[in-house]
Amino acid sequence: MFAFLNKKKKEECVCPIPGKEAKEAYIDMKGVNIFYGSNRAVKDVSMRIKHRKVTAFIGPSGCGKSTLLRALNRMNDEIDGCKMTGSIFMNGVDILGKKVDPVSLRTNVGMVFQKPNPFPKSIFDNVAYGPRIHGIRKKSTLDCIVEKSLRDAALWEEVGDRLAESAIGLSGGQQQRLCIARALAVNPEMILMDEPCSALDPIATSKIEDLIFELKKSYTVVIVTHNMQQAARVSDDTGFMYLGELIEFGPTKQIFQRPKQKLTENYITGRFG
Amino acid sequence: MEPSTEKGGNPYRKRFRPGEDLISWFLLGMASLAIIVSLAIIYTLVDGSYGFFIDARVDIIDFFTGKNWSPHGATPSFGMGPLIQGTVMIAGGALILGGPLGIMAALYLSEFAHNRIRAVAKPFLEILAGIPSIVYGFFALLVISQVFRDYFEADYFNAASAIVVMAVMILPIVVSVSDDSMKAVPREMREASLAMGATKWETATKVVMPAASSGIMASVLLGLARAIGETMVVVLAAGSIAKFSWSIFHEHMTMTAYIAQVATGDIPPGIGIQAAFAVGLVLFAITFLINWLASKVVISIKKGGSGGLRRKKLGLLSSALHLLPNLTNDLLDKVRSDRMSKNMTMRYVKERVGKVVLGSSLLVALVFLVFLLYSILEQGLSGLTPHFFTNFPSSDPAKAGIWPVIQGSVYLVLLTMLFAMPVGIGAAIYLNEFAKENWFNLFLRRIIQNLAGVPSIVFGLVGLTIFVRFFSFGLSLLSGALTLAIMVLPIVIVTSEEALRSVPQTFREAARGLGATKWQTVWHHVLPNAIPGVLTGSILSLSRALGETAPILFIASFFSKVAPNSIMDGFLALPITIFYWTKHPKQEFQDLAATTIIVLLLILLTMNAVAIFIRQRSQSKRKW
Ligand SMILES: Nc1ncnc2c1ncn2[C@@H]1O[C@H](COP(=O)(O)OP(=O)(O)OP(=O)(O)O)[C@@H](O)[C@H]1O
Ligand SMILES: [Mg+2]
Repeated sequence: MFAFLNKKKKEECVCPIPGKEAKEAYIDMKGVNIFYGSNRAVKDVSMRIKHRKVTAFIGPSGCGKSTLLRALNRMNDEIDGCKMTGSIFMNGVDILGKKVDPVSLRTNVGMVFQKPNPFPKSIFDNVAYGPRIHGIRKKSTLDCIVEKSLRDAALWEEVGDRLAESAIGLSGGQQQRLCIARALAVNPEMILMDEPCSALDPIATSKIEDLIFELKKSYTVVIVTHNMQQAARVSDDTGFMYLGELIEFGPTKQIFQRPKQKLTENYITGRFG
Repeated sequence: MEPSTEKGGNPYRKRFRPGEDLISWFLLGMASLAIIVSLAIIYTLVDGSYGFFIDARVDIIDFFTGKNWSPHGATPSFGMGPLIQGTVMIAGGALILGGPLGIMAALYLSEFAHNRIRAVAKPFLEILAGIPSIVYGFFALLVISQVFRDYFEADYFNAASAIVVMAVMILPIVVSVSDDSMKAVPREMREASLAMGATKWETATKVVMPAASSGIMASVLLGLARAIGETMVVVLAAGSIAKFSWSIFHEHMTMTAYIAQVATGDIPPGIGIQAAFAVGLVLFAITFLINWLASKVVISIKKGGSGGLRRKKLGLLSSALHLLPNLTNDLLDKVRSDRMSKNMTMRYVKERVGKVVLGSSLLVALVFLVFLLYSILEQGLSGLTPHFFTNFPSSDPAKAGIWPVIQGSVYLVLLTMLFAMPVGIGAAIYLNEFAKENWFNLFLRRIIQNLAGVPSIVFGLVGLTIFVRFFSFGLSLLSGALTLAIMVLPIVIVTSEEALRSVPQTFREAARGLGATKWQTVWHHVLPNAIPGVLTGSILSLSRALGETAPILFIASFFSKVAPNSIMDGFLALPITIFYWTKHPKQEFQDLAATTIIVLLLILLTMNAVAIFIRQRSQSKRKW
């Protein structure tokens, strides 16, 4: 019995952070408004993001995609003058509520940014950073988490033998996968990605897209993208935003093949200046 | 699944993080020390002047309007007229000389100079700004004043020499602020003018200068505040007799000079000393007002530059477009008449000549600097012997040395930084990483900005009242270091904040996105990357503290001839020694002052070289 446990531990190597305890990770937004000062950047958005599916936000520049995405892990709190109203239920808890701690929330909701932003440290230290700030010190546990995260981010094959090297030396695509690995290392339920491929070349992009396909087996993924083909390729559900409003939301196939709204159709067919 | 059916409570509930709160309160406390320092300044000046104004021998009306200032004797009289006259003449003279020079240099640098010249001019201006005022004072009294004595029959002490030297001292601030505001003028405006067929000269003088006029105004105001608050040059070169006279070749006393006179013990105890506080209060009020006016203008420029508030820039542009109609007609007339009278060449000649005239303003300053360094080397180099470093001060110039003085200065500066660095860096971290944009933090920033503009001699009064008397630390190393610490605090805060700001925002976002707390983000990612910048800034503040004379004039004692053994001992510092030796009637001691200046400048040079080395190394090693 003990042998079985040990073996299991080695294989699974679950980060012992109280993260993924919920069996489901879904989001219900109800009447979300987001303001920058007096400017309402997101207007009355309601939608449901499903468990272990990839949801994409598309829309023209400045329509509020990033703003909405950053509401999901309360990164907007970091911007002076940004105010959010309405409710966002994450597994039943309103994360816009007063009682929610953004820091704990972010442990459960990882984020990958538009430009790869590794810390100027070694590859190992980048991935181990999250677990470390949550108090994991044991070398063997850290080794295990780093390896698993890098494998999950499809980067282990390329960097497994040079973990001590600086992350800055990696290529752009590798850096972005490292950032994904770094986000996975804290064992989140959900991953937010804000145009993760816009700074990458096509080969790196396709690697990340493959990765997203793998990730949705164990994570709920929300992705913002400018690239409609990409949204069509990777997502299960798509929301089209325009001037802060969620114009249409539904299964990706339906949105791209039979949009119900004229605005959506115009955008998708490129008739949108 | 409906939200309400979820069991197990809220996994993201607020965690209790006592450490995080404690740290942010602690940092806030450090930043708030700036408020306490400001209160200490106001308490010092108000409390001290109160004793003065309630004295039976003092008439408040006469204080502001009287023309007779004789603070001691049987029937003292306190009419500040001569002090105000001295201050206005000297600061005003410096401004009339240095203001146009600075604006010309700025216009040259911003509109005409090659990058290579800019690259040289910047460190050159930094050198001018970095030379301690005691060195300028020495140069004014023993070199420039000599010229006026020889050719204009000036008094031994005269306002003219102080004016000339101070004109150069205010140059760096006038140039840098003007230059910033000219560079902030949008390129579109220049292009609009050039596209109409205006020459670069016409564009610079008729479009850029008017558009940058508020910034130029601010630079002149800041220069004025600097000149009014300057102590060492006037106390050395302009003299200490308060007589009403309109000649710049006569002896004049400024407000700062009177306070310094009290500090050096030349005023016997009594009401005369209290008068220094009243004068300090007036001085503080004047400089505060001028700095406040300047900051109003500067803030509006800064906003134009920093991204989000593009409105300001557009405002500038549209106001410039207002200018354009006149200009257009003017220029069109010109272009037409040019075609006819073919005086196009005239316009180019004007540009050539203008450029040379502007550029020569920098040359003037350069010649001044070379002359200054040359005369100090000439006078002091021969005294630079090994035993000058190892001997003790002595009344025999042949035997006098500065060993305990060097020690005193080193202890003083180290102790100063021990107080100023943690507080300043903590305050900077609070302001840059923790502070939200609310009225309190805006107020804090204002306070710090104002502290940076307080004349250094006023800090002397504060040190005397608060540290020497109130805390009864006496005339000790501790009092001196604390006084210097509150003086350099704003500089440490500003330079550290700059270093923190240069750390890319993406590092903070990445760490925060992973669930790091604010303090974890700062400690793991911001601080390690900001350290070289913070160090560089601290070294520069350190060199400021090392060269500063006025604030410790009250505290350092010329009679302590040995190095301090404890922080409660009396001490002597390099700039103080230079001050007394420069004032010494014997030529040999004046030579020793020059030698001590060489030592001081060498130390400053080394410190700056280290700072530059750190900056460069970190930039070349920087991975982001
Ligand atoms: N920090 C901020 N302060 C003030 N306004 C902001 C800020 N960030 C975004 N906005 C405004 O909010 C609106 C939505 O911006 P957001 O970045 O969410 O758009 P986006 O859809 O992500 O655009 P893009 O495709 O260009 O990234 C825009 O009008 C923008 O100007
Ligand atoms: Mg965006």
